Amino acid sequence: MTKKNAGPELNTVPKLLARNAAKYGDAAAYREKEYGIWQTWTWSQAADEINALALGFLDLGVKQGDHIAIVGRNRPYFYWSMVAAQSVGAVPVPLYKDAVAEEMAYVLDHCTARFVVAEDQEQVDKIIDVQDDLKALDGVIYLDPRGMRKYDRGALFEFSDIQQTGRDKRAELSPELNARLDAQDYNTTCVMLYTSGTTGRPKGVVLSNENIIETGRATAEFDNLSVNDSVLAYLPMAWVGDFIFSISQAYNAAFCVACPESGETMQHDLREVGPTYFFAPPAYFEGMLTSVQIRMEDASPLKRKLYKTFMANAADVGPKLMDGKSVGLGAHLKYQLGKLLVTGPLKNTLGLSRVRVGYTAGEAIGPELFDFYRSLGINLKQLYGQTEASVFITQQRDGEVRADTVGTPSPGVELRIDESGEVFYRSPGSFVEYYENPESTADTKDPEGWVATGDAGFIETASGQLRIIDRIKDVGKLNDGTMFAPKFVENKLKFYSNILEAVVFGNGKDNCVAFINIDLLAVGNWAERNNIAYSSYQELAGHPRVYEMIQENIANVNASIAEDEFLSGCQITRFLILHKQLDADDGEMTRTLKVRRKIIAEKFDDLIGALYSDATNIKTTTEVTYEDGRKGSISADLEIRDVKTFPRKQVAA
Amino acid sequence: MSANFYYGIEVFLNGLMAGVMYSLVALGFVLIFKASGIFNYAQGVMALFAALCLVGFQSGQIPFAHVINATFGTEIHHFGWHMPALLAIVCTLMMMILFAFLVEKFVLKHLVNQEPIILFMATIGLAYFMEGFGDLMWGSDIKKLDVGIPQGGNLWLEENTAFLGGDDFYGFYIDNLDIWATIFAAILVTALILFSQYTKTGRALRAVADDHQAALSVGISLRVIWVIVWSIAGFVALVAGIMWGSKSGVQFSLSLIALKALPVLMLGGFTSIPGAIIGGLIIGVGEKMFEFLIGAPFLGGATENWFAYMLALLFLVFRPQGLFGEKIIERV
Amino acid sequence: MTQTETYQTPDGRTIGGAVMEMKNITLRFGGVVAIKDISFDIREGEIRAIIGPNGAGKSSMLNVINGFYHPQEGDVLFHGKKRGPMKPHQIAKQGIARTFQNIALFKGMSTLDNIMTGRLTHMKSGLASQMMWWGKAQREEVENREVVEKIIDFLEIQTIRKTPVGRLPYGLQKRVELGRALAAEPKLLLLDEPMAGMNVEEKEDMSRFILDVNDEFGTTIALIEHDMGVVMDIADRVVVMDYGKKIGDGTPSEVRQDQAVIDAYLGVAHD
Repeated sequence: MTKKNAGPELNTVPKLLARNAAKYGDAAAYREKEYGIWQTWTWSQAADEINALALGFLDLGVKQGDHIAIVGRNRPYFYWSMVAAQSVGAVPVPLYKDAVAEEMAYVLDHCTARFVVAEDQEQVDKIIDVQDDLKALDGVIYLDPRGMRKYDRGALFEFSDIQQTGRDKRAELSPELNARLDAQDYNTTCVMLYTSGTTGRPKGVVLSNENIIETGRATAEFDNLSVNDSVLAYLPMAWVGDFIFSISQAYNAAFCVACPESGETMQHDLREVGPTYFFAPPAYFEGMLTSVQIRMEDASPLKRKLYKTFMANAADVGPKLMDGKSVGLGAHLKYQLGKLLVTGPLKNTLGLSRVRVGYTAGEAIGPELFDFYRSLGINLKQLYGQTEASVFITQQRDGEVRADTVGTPSPGVELRIDESGEVFYRSPGSFVEYYENPESTADTKDPEGWVATGDAGFIETASGQLRIIDRIKDVGKLNDGTMFAPKFVENKLKFYSNILEAVVFGNGKDNCVAFINIDLLAVGNWAERNNIAYSSYQELAGHPRVYEMIQENIANVNASIAEDEFLSGCQITRFLILHKQLDADDGEMTRTLKVRRKIIAEKFDDLIGALYSDATNIKTTTEVTYEDGRKGSISADLEIRDVKTFPRKQVAA
Repeated sequence: MSANFYYGIEVFLNGLMAGVMYSLVALGFVLIFKASGIFNYAQGVMALFAALCLVGFQSGQIPFAHVINATFGTEIHHFGWHMPALLAIVCTLMMMILFAFLVEKFVLKHLVNQEPIILFMATIGLAYFMEGFGDLMWGSDIKKLDVGIPQGGNLWLEENTAFLGGDDFYGFYIDNLDIWATIFAAILVTALILFSQYTKTGRALRAVADDHQAALSVGISLRVIWVIVWSIAGFVALVAGIMWGSKSGVQFSLSLIALKALPVLMLGGFTSIPGAIIGGLIIGVGEKMFEFLIGAPFLGGATENWFAYMLALLFLVFRPQGLFGEKIIERV
Repeated sequence: MTQTETYQTPDGRTIGGAVMEMKNITLRFGGVVAIKDISFDIREGEIRAIIGPNGAGKSSMLNVINGFYHPQEGDVLFHGKKRGPMKPHQIAKQGIARTFQNIALFKGMSTLDNIMTGRLTHMKSGLASQMMWWGKAQREEVENREVVEKIIDFLEIQTIRKTPVGRLPYGLQKRVELGRALAAEPKLLLLDEPMAGMNVEEKEDMSRFILDVNDEFGTTIALIEHDMGVVMDIADRVVVMDYGKKIGDGTPSEVRQDQAVIDAYLGVAHD
């Protein structure tokens, strides 16, 4: 792929920035809440900040093709850092800010980062810890100087100083900057993003300007995103989604990116910003629904009654209205009244009252969960994507929204399903390569440009929508030959607010068993109301009444699975509630909170053995890692219970 | 709709207006109780005293005329001028602030860290002292108070609502004074709430109400705060005194409006400003409606004297902290 | 004992002359002697700890510094000037702020309002101006709110800005109380057992905040603690008290090797 590809006139992110500063100079580009007040930068101010930073980078000696790592929570300064890096011809590499020092060291070493832009002392400390192994590293730029007064200044630079230097030397350095800006085209690397990956070391996905800009333009047009829209940037900056929403689409459509005051205040800030465009993973929507349900259980009987009545009506009418179908006058009136009394205030509390386009992706979403938000009148749609595709593979069009599918191909995307059921795509957004990893690149992307997703799925003939079943490697067979799709079952389990995570096993076995993680918030609240004392997660998880509750939830799931003609073999026969919460620090989940099935299966081998025996309990000891990196172990005596299963629906001959 | 229905509404509206008057008095209690934990028995007398001073200043009465005449055998009564109402109000306010200073200097200062019951006793003493002092200063005859607030039925309202009912209905009869009282009360309460939320002194007032020791440590002087609180309570008493005095004359019985405030406080809680207002409205509407619907037709009337207490008692049984009283949330 | 020359600490901070000097302080409650003839000083920019077993008279000492108690004998010198009998609120206005062992926050008020009360000594507008909410009073509110927001950011308590502090967990309440004391921009900050009742993680957090306060704002800090370990890590100099008497004074390492201190902590019988 060395062909010269200039692309259209606006072929780099810095050029889009210049366009926005000229065309929408006074429109808000960035907002951030700091010191309790929302600060705003217009597009022309943002362009000035980025320009100063880019000149400062030049002064530091950043060369074309250098990698500049960026680590911190979502703040305008870091988005500017990425665009400033692009301006001088360097490649921005955003990192996960909660990565431990070794994980960070691997990525910094792999991409031979010359500079790191870090948020604060916490991040700087991590880099200092591992700097001896990082030969390429020439300096760290920090944003918040607090606590670093006594640090060795040698290779540490303050963000504002870099910008000041840039401003001071503007006349001197501008020609060089302009030359570098002009030297870039559609083939230039726009960004490099490391995929957390459910297995193995992270891989650096190289995305070109063509990938990012084509995708951003086409998808912004798809949903009519414009300068009047706004988004709250709160998901990890290292994740491709944030890059696409907060840079690619934001620069294409010139909409405003707002950053929360801190990770913990996100919910509150969301309410204040009231974004019109919103993305959240299913877990987020699930968490919000759980908190609504908890609050309703604590509410007065009158409120509960109102909630029940109007939500039932909204569930029926809301989605129909959104899809432009007609409803009866009475139902419509009731819906409007409910909007005034229940759904409107609820939407406002959730911070979603202005959302015009909402997306969720990453995991399948429970139909009940999906319908809940749709009935509130939130245009929540699903998309299917991955880092290698610059996010978008398929997405749902307005009026064609369903819970069990992920939509039709995004603009410019071709889709193909191979014999084994795996989904392949070819698109303008599909990645250039894995950085310094030709084997993996060849494994994933064939010479014709088709990229393997690793997911099993099929295209519904009637609607043309894609339906994803599971990871291709996780889909297996039970001993009787029926299909085993663990995620399908887990998602059904996770819809219950009591269940935070579930891991289902059964490939090559006679039947399915499950590990459960209870939701401490929901179950804890329930325990409080029922006067059940507990001092830890472990104690609550082992409580017989909690077991009873979960047992009932699983039986209900079994009843619903029994209805599915292909997957009715996946009913859970036995389960246990884990004594610890699955945690990314222990390697049991990815940083994006997806369960790592294989690692869990190895780690809790003894528990799986017990589930497939007649035992009613099992003693076990597990190693855990604390936040500060220390290791310890917890031991427990876990109860195992059987669950009711239902007769399978026969496949019609 | 029958005329009776509209009379019911009229009674309801009048109840609301009466409730506002009760709220005004209750508000004075709440302010002092919140800031210093004192149940100020003298609040009613403060209203009386304020009204007496106001009439005195306005009509140019010579203070202590009785005493002077008796001692020196003179026959003086008046200065011979008539003070404009607004100036008289300002003078009275000065009096109330002076009074707050004196109370702090001669009473509260010496009772720091005493039991609440002792402080309560002190305010009883204060009440009787002020009553006697007021008599001595301005004489004990019934006086008419007029600061220029229009009185009598509001004709406009009456004429414009007459069409609602049939021939038997002549429109709503609502006293102008009550309407003005409501407007003043609303302004007063809004101002008080804004003051306590958004100014440093307001914040200091809330701080003192919350924790004395902590207030001291951030540099708040309790004595200054007490003077301010009693001054504000004095101001509220003045407003209540003007309204009630204009309505039924300035005389000893004015101090008994404090008794009307008691059930309001039981209902609304001793620590809540919104409680005092809502409580007052409930009592006002409750007693008027009860009299209209049940009292007059079935019980021979005069239920207004006891209904408020009965309602308050019922409330005490079911919700001791009052409608809006603070449920103290503490975590260890 | 008074030192006027400045010196540099190993980690590069400058310690100045004495801010506060206690000279031969004796405090009695009736016949009970709480503090007996104690002298020491607190120097500008340092973290000075007063430690000792329970009942050693540490809290009494803090209350003397802060003006809640008036010693029967001895002098208290603040910035070299002898301090006459003053009320606690007057002392607060001189620039001494404190926290309490049992947290004395305004429980019904929000975090923001609590910290705002710490600014009272810096707000000068008159009552009339406040009532009208114009001119000076309004400007003052805005300026002081900015200071308070910086403190909220510094202590990382943005999430609880509007929460009534009575609803907060213990560790956070301690943090809010520290914030309120900081808001006064004190010349001397007194902390009464800032880590009492905290778990290890909370103690580490609090230690970090204390160090950061000292480092960022150069605030002189005097703190009381009975947990030796934490204090030894963060204090520049330590006074050790036992049964109302001073039994040791010096740097943490000096104090650690002092026989009298070791005896007091190991519980050697007093005769």
